[in-house]
Parts: sequence; C-alpha cells; structure tokens
Amino acid sequence: MASNELREPVPSFAFPRQTLVSLLVFAAGWEVLSYLAPYLGIPPFAIPSLVKIAKSITVITPIDIVVTLARVIGALIASFVIGLTLAMAMYRSKTLDEYLHPMIRILMAVPVVSWILFAVLWFPGVEFRIGFVLVVVCGPVFLIDTIDAMRSVPRELRHMLQSFRPTTWQFFVKLMLPAIVPTIFTSWKVNISLAIRVVTIAELVGAVTGIGHQLSVAQELFSVADVFAWTIVLVALLFLLEGVVARVEARLLRWRP
Amino acid sequence: MTVAPEPKGGPPPIEVRGLRKVFRQTTSGQSVVAIDRLDLTIAPREVVAIVGQTGCGKSTFFDLMIGLEAPSEGTLRIGDKSPHADFDHFRGKIATVFQQDRLLPWRSALDNAKLPLELIGLPEDEQRERALAWLNRLGLGQFTNAFPHELSGGMRQRVAIARAFSVQPDIMLADEAFGHLDEVTAAELRDTFLALARESGSTAILITHQLEEAIGVGDRIIVFGKSAKLLADIHVANWPKEQYALLREVIQATLQNNAPDPRLTQA
Repeated sequence: MASNELREPVPSFAFPRQTLVSLLVFAAGWEVLSYLAPYLGIPPFAIPSLVKIAKSITVITPIDIVVTLARVIGALIASFVIGLTLAMAMYRSKTLDEYLHPMIRILMAVPVVSWILFAVLWFPGVEFRIGFVLVVVCGPVFLIDTIDAMRSVPRELRHMLQSFRPTTWQFFVKLMLPAIVPTIFTSWKVNISLAIRVVTIAELVGAVTGIGHQLSVAQELFSVADVFAWTIVLVALLFLLEGVVARVEARLLRWRP
Repeated sequence: MTVAPEPKGGPPPIEVRGLRKVFRQTTSGQSVVAIDRLDLTIAPREVVAIVGQTGCGKSTFFDLMIGLEAPSEGTLRIGDKSPHADFDHFRGKIATVFQQDRLLPWRSALDNAKLPLELIGLPEDEQRERALAWLNRLGLGQFTNAFPHELSGGMRQRVAIARAFSVQPDIMLADEAFGHLDEVTAAELRDTFLALARESGSTAILITHQLEEAIGVGDRIIVFGKSAKLLADIHVANWPKEQYALLREVIQATLQNNAPDPRLTQA
C-alpha cells in the first residue's frame, strides 16, 4: 500500500502547531538576545525585550491603522476598477491593446521609489500622492492578470456563448468575468501584499499620518520596540485582508470540485 | 409541468447558394478551401443529417449556420436574412448543441439551462419556469441545483439540450452532439432530441460522422465530400427500412470514393 494511503487526512483548518512552535522559539531566542545584548557589545535599544515591544503595542494609535487600511482598500478598489475596465477594452480592441500593452509593461518596470518621488514632485496633496503611487503600482498588475485570464477562457465556452448571440455586455458579464474570478482573487492577494508594502514606503516618505509615518517617527526616536510593534500591526493587517479575500473566494468559488 | 411549444409562424427556409469558405493559415499563409460552391435548400421543420469524413467542412458549415463565420463567397440565408450579417436578428432563433456539453462550470444545471433566456431578456420568473420545465422534461428535475462536475456525461449533455430548447428556436443545430457518449446513452438522447425537435416544430440540422445516427435521424441525409462539396442529398423516405443496410453501404462507398455512388440514383 502506498504510504499516502496510510496518512490521516489533513484538516483544512489545522491548528498551525509548527508555526506556533517556531514563533515561540524565535521569541525565546529574541528575549535571550535582548538580555545578552549589553554583554555582546550591542546597544540595548537595538534589541528591546518582548515586554517593551508589548508595551509599544498597547500604545499604538488606532487612527493610524485605520488611515493606512483605508488608503490600501481605497487604492486597491480604484486599481481593480481601472485595471478591469482597461482589460475589457483591450480584450475587445486589438488596436487599443497594441498601443497600451507596451505602456503598461513600461509602467510595471518603473521602481516604486521612482513613483513616490514623481508623486512628491508632481502633486501637492498627500492623499493624492499616496493614492497615485498605489494605483500606478497595483493597477497594471490587475490589468495584466485579468487580460491574460480573459485570453485563457476556453474557445469552446466563448464559441458556445457567442452562438446564443449575447451583447458585448452580456458576453463579459455572463462568461468572461465569472470565468476569470479565480485569477481575480489571486491578483487581489498579490496586490494586497504589494499595496501594504508600497503604502508603508509612501507614508514613510511623504505623510503625516498612517503606519508608515509612525515607523518614521519610531526611527527618529531610535525606538526599535515601536518599529517592531508597527511591523507586527502591518503583518496582522496583511493576514486580515488576505483572510477576508480567502473567505469571499471560498464562497464565490464553491462550485469548484 | 410540460413544455408546450409556443405558437409561431414556423421556421424560415434555409437557402445556400454558391457558398464558399476559404481560410488563410496563420503559419504558412496558404489558403485552404473549407467549403467549395455549396448549393443546398433545407425546408422548414425538416430534420437533416449532414455526414462526412473528418476535414470535409462540416464544422465550418456549422459555424456559418450559427453566423460566427462569414462566407467568403456565395450566400447562406435563413428566410431573407443572413445569420452573419444580421447576427442579432437571430438571437433566440438559432440554438446549438455541441459535441461537448460546454456547460459553464460555475452555474448550476438550472442556471445553465436559463442562460439563453437571460440573453434574450425574459423576466426572471419566466426564465426559471421555462428552464425548470425543460430540465424536468429531460429527466433532470432532481438535479437542478447540481453543478456540472456533479453530473454524469449524459446528464450534462441533457442540460445542454435543455439549454438549447429552452429558447424554443426556429433552427436547432447539433454538432456531433452524441458522438462522445456511450451507445445506449447516445441513442436515448438522440431519440429525445429528435422527438423534441419535431414536437417544437424546429428545423433540425445534425452534423455527424456516424452513418447509423444519420440514417436513424434524418428526413434527409446530406453527404459532404472533401472540401464540403455536396456528394449526395438522400431523402430517407425513399428507402424502405429493410434497405437501410444497403443505404449505409452506399453512403460509405460515396464517402470513400468522394463521388456519388451509382446506386444512389436507383433509389
């Protein structure tokens, strides 16, 4: 009998015991290092104790979390709408595709830092700057993912629907959009992670609110505990958003075998 | 609930004159003649089987009938309209059953059967009622909420048939719709399909490469030779049932020689 057949089925939401163990080992190692730091010639502020980090977490300002979250969600929605609309237009028009595709590729090749500098130089408003950077970074990812997915919809299904003579709108709503839902979710997951990283840098450089700004303040105060605390918040935010997307995905894709 | 065909004026005749379809191969740039000077008339409510070997242009003819391809030369008219040039005119008037079921995997059986009704813009209640009636008619009353992957191949093809009939089309096309099923299921579905086509008063065109299917199905059998030239146009009623074996032999010989068999004229 193959060894696979002897294995217990893995529960879909198994408690991550290994994850917990590795985190505990890391925390214990960190704590030991924080006590040993002075003896190792490391400045004490560089490796704060877990208690100090916990204290920093308790004084975190929720408004900065809300601001960053709102910027991320708002920009992702705008990027998705723009990316999807352009993808639909490019799918319909070969000419538009031929003109836009090279531009999109160039946009995607520009480093995030360059976009942030452009935004600071071009636009006066902080919110617009951050929104611009997020949309210009995440929008092309949505666009390329969705247009590639549309082109991968099986010819047989396109042919079937066309034989019933749909309007252009019906063609997208009844076939293309439902067919690319799995890709859309993958794209959202990639872009959430990207947006969290980009918004942090953008806020760090040019904002007076948000988690990125608080990281900048923590750096000025040489407070590694605060940097740690805000980083934990960022990671938690990423997991939270990914969790929400995964729940919606599971619901919308329940038809999958 | 049963499905009563809606009263209608009847399907228009299909006229094919000098039809030619040439494709240009993307890689070599060479032209390939898929259909060459085809002349054909199909009367309203006729059930016609089109047979031919692989590559004879049957599927191209099917695409031209649906209107997804334009003729290179000649005309194909349904009534006084062209299925390609007057594409929207035929919304809800032509329906198709394909070789594979081509169900949308994210839609339940009911939602798949409703699809063409959504496209023609029927009210939601009526869509549901009609689709349910056709699914019941095809023996799928217990499976209306099942997704395609939860159904057998035969059941999925039944949903595809329900989807096609739900719009009560003037013209029903079937492209080797039963060829991939086992013999028993295929025969059963073919009979159901024909009964429904005759009952609903649609003109039915079945493309097949199986001679038994063609003989068992059609009022007429149209035999396509290579490059979709018309080799034979056989009225099955002219052949007594006891001569079906001979008919099969004659069609086979016609296909093999790519020329009408002399015995055809004796019928």
